[in-house]
Amino acid sequence: MIEVSGLTKRYGGFTAVRDLSLAVQPGEVLGLVGPNGAGKTSTLRCLAGIIPATAGNVRIAGHDISTDPVAAKRALAFFPDEPRLFDYLTIRQHLNFVARIYGVADHEAIAGPLLEELEIADKADQLPGELSRGMKQKLAIACGLLHRPSVMFFDEPLTGLDPLGIRRMKDSILKRAREGAAVILSSHLLHLLQEVCSHVLILKKGEKIAHGTLPEISAQFANGESIVSLEEIFIRATGGSEH
Amino acid sequence: MLRALLYLRLTSLKNQIISRAKRLRQLKYLLGALVGGAYVYFLFFLNFGGASGSRGAARTAATQALAALPSPEALTQTLPLIAAVSAVLLLGIVILAWVIPSNSRGLRFTEAETAFLFPAPISRRTLIHCKLLSSQFSILFTSLFFTLISNRWTFLGGNALTHAVGWWFVLSTLNLHFTGAALTLSRLVEGGVSPLRRRLTVLGGLAVVVGLTVAWVWRDLRAPDAEDFAGVAPFTAYLLGLLDHGVLGTLLVPFKFVVGPFLAPDARTFLFALAPALLVMLAHYSWVLRMETSFEEASLAAAEKRSATLASVREGKRVFASTHTHTHARPGPFYLGSSGRPELAFLWKNLLSTATYFNLRVLATAAAIILVGSKWFLTGTTPDIRAARVVVGMISLAAGAYVLLLGPHLARQDLRGDMPHADILKTYPLRGWELLLGQILAPVAILTGLTWLCLLAAALTLQPTGRMALTFTPPVLWAIALGIAAVTPFVGALQLLILNGATIIFPAWFHSLRAAGPGGGIELMGQRLIFVFGQFIVILTALLPASLTALALIFATQWLIGATAAIALATLVVLVVLAGEVWCALWWLGERFDRLDVSSELRP
Repeated sequence: MIEVSGLTKRYGGFTAVRDLSLAVQPGEVLGLVGPNGAGKTSTLRCLAGIIPATAGNVRIAGHDISTDPVAAKRALAFFPDEPRLFDYLTIRQHLNFVARIYGVADHEAIAGPLLEELEIADKADQLPGELSRGMKQKLAIACGLLHRPSVMFFDEPLTGLDPLGIRRMKDSILKRAREGAAVILSSHLLHLLQEVCSHVLILKKGEKIAHGTLPEISAQFANGESIVSLEEIFIRATGGSEH
Repeated sequence: MLRALLYLRLTSLKNQIISRAKRLRQLKYLLGALVGGAYVYFLFFLNFGGASGSRGAARTAATQALAALPSPEALTQTLPLIAAVSAVLLLGIVILAWVIPSNSRGLRFTEAETAFLFPAPISRRTLIHCKLLSSQFSILFTSLFFTLISNRWTFLGGNALTHAVGWWFVLSTLNLHFTGAALTLSRLVEGGVSPLRRRLTVLGGLAVVVGLTVAWVWRDLRAPDAEDFAGVAPFTAYLLGLLDHGVLGTLLVPFKFVVGPFLAPDARTFLFALAPALLVMLAHYSWVLRMETSFEEASLAAAEKRSATLASVREGKRVFASTHTHTHARPGPFYLGSSGRPELAFLWKNLLSTATYFNLRVLATAAAIILVGSKWFLTGTTPDIRAARVVVGMISLAAGAYVLLLGPHLARQDLRGDMPHADILKTYPLRGWELLLGQILAPVAILTGLTWLCLLAAALTLQPTGRMALTFTPPVLWAIALGIAAVTPFVGALQLLILNGATIIFPAWFHSLRAAGPGGGIELMGQRLIFVFGQFIVILTALLPASLTALALIFATQWLIGATAAIALATLVVLVVLAGEVWCALWWLGERFDRLDVSSELRP
């Protein structure tokens, strides 16, 4: 569903992502972890077609993001760490707008349950300025889920959410994965990754240093210990510093 | 404590200068600085030298005219009047500060200052001193800037130094007054005085002054007659009599003290004017220090509001920082179904972000008013109505040209406003040209509607007479009007594509201008000048082929098919050329947008 080979992203002389290859199948949730500046956001933005890759291939639901971006984007949803909303559109109008962009014919039938699930149905006629940070995040998620994407990218999805919001977000991600979506999420919250992700990819200075299921990664950095937390794995894998 | 605050100011200033100097290593800032510097030099410094300057050849006609105005005798007559009128202006500004107070005007703390200084162990009095100290930096800069302008007013006499000091007195005293007014009003609010009661009190006091002045004029001074308007001297004498005596004269005395140093024509007068101006300033300072009142809450609110406004300007949602914030949800401008061209979704969205009065109903009402009004105009045959008809027609034409040429700079409900959302826009399953077309539809619709109204008014009111009437018959006039109306959306689209294209092709330049918000230094002023000049060149180039083709066609065919048909034919050809240009621009810019790397380009 998500196939990446040899992805490289350079900004001038600086290489943010170097020769990254990965694949995420339907139902899998890949956690992208790494220290600050490891290239997580650059990777996600390349995969979502927001920024062009310097080299490599990215296929989303079978469509090459560089040669057939419209078809690829029709299948994906990107959720940035900060919800990007239009100040003048209410929740309902946001969904109306997105439905037209993606050509979601039965959007009202989908939007109702979606807003109920995200617990913002009673705020449907409010502007983003009247919503809390968590509500805005939920609206951004509703907009992303409206066209039933088969591929989802989450960049720090729990930023600014309260404990209940975190629980709902985790449930929402798992629900979509169970329904067959391929998900990649980046986060510094390792307990989230431990609970939600089926696979983990550790990046450092733009390079993949570990990739596999949680048991595989644990085994790789266990050093003979039987139970190792993801936090410990992360510290051992990255050497405990950004550099 | 004040040493720490002074350190904060000076260090911030130093770092700002260093960072601005460092960014000159980037071409966009260097070019901007060169163009901005040249502009400032030609505008101000070429004439710098004041009354004794000898670069007469370089002076502009306006400056020469101003310089040539008064003789020394006339100067002695005019200066007291200028002082009195300046005092009246200052009085007006002061009254406004009381009637329409601004929370931010008197207590201008930034968000960082409120975060660091308010919880710090600093007394309220020291905070006020901090505020006054902070404002001195901008006052000094503004004084220098105003001196550059006023130094060309050679008829005032004085020199650059007296003007700079004069401006400093005026601005510092006004700033102290605003601070004092804000603190006093805070105390009144704390005491339960409502804004309405405060305004009524101020306006009542003003009414008393005006009433007393009128009564005094009625009793002691004769009412103005024809002789007072016979020339500059009698009119000046009459006004001086009004402004220098009685209640108004007394009320204006402190204001005249404040402008005294600025208006001093020579060093001796300047020195004598310093003491009264200083006295007024010290009185204000004493007043401000005595105002022991709570202002922190109002300052916090003002700082947050200012910060939000600035962020909005930086995101391109507003052109001017003072534009009011839209906060109410409203229904969509039209029904937006789930299927159909996605471009219309952007039109729908962007129309929602405009003022509520930009809709079809208002447009139709305005058109109806123009039709009814012009009918009354057309039936009137008196010379007055005919003259008014011409004036209305010319104003309408000028307004239409203004909307079409400058409107795209103000109507920013397009990609310029949405660039902060570029990463989300790029995830939409749309080609670049589709997105760009959708983005410009709303401003095109608004500008076209406004231009059509102006055109309608002009077409209905402008009726050529004499020989012109033989050439511009009603059918020809209507053909011209309809032709212009038909090409208007395309000209508007081209203008908007140039401006939106600039943000796509030079996103880093656009970002630096947006990040700076209003103002931002000489290099950013230069960048804006380069943009405006570039837009002018590009639109001229774009319109040239269509214009030349139209002229050639009309010239070649009007003898055969008549002027009206020739204009219609030329309009069709112009439409084809402009539509082709719009399509090419959309396609090319759309490709550029698809390839735009928002992460690397949108860096300051």
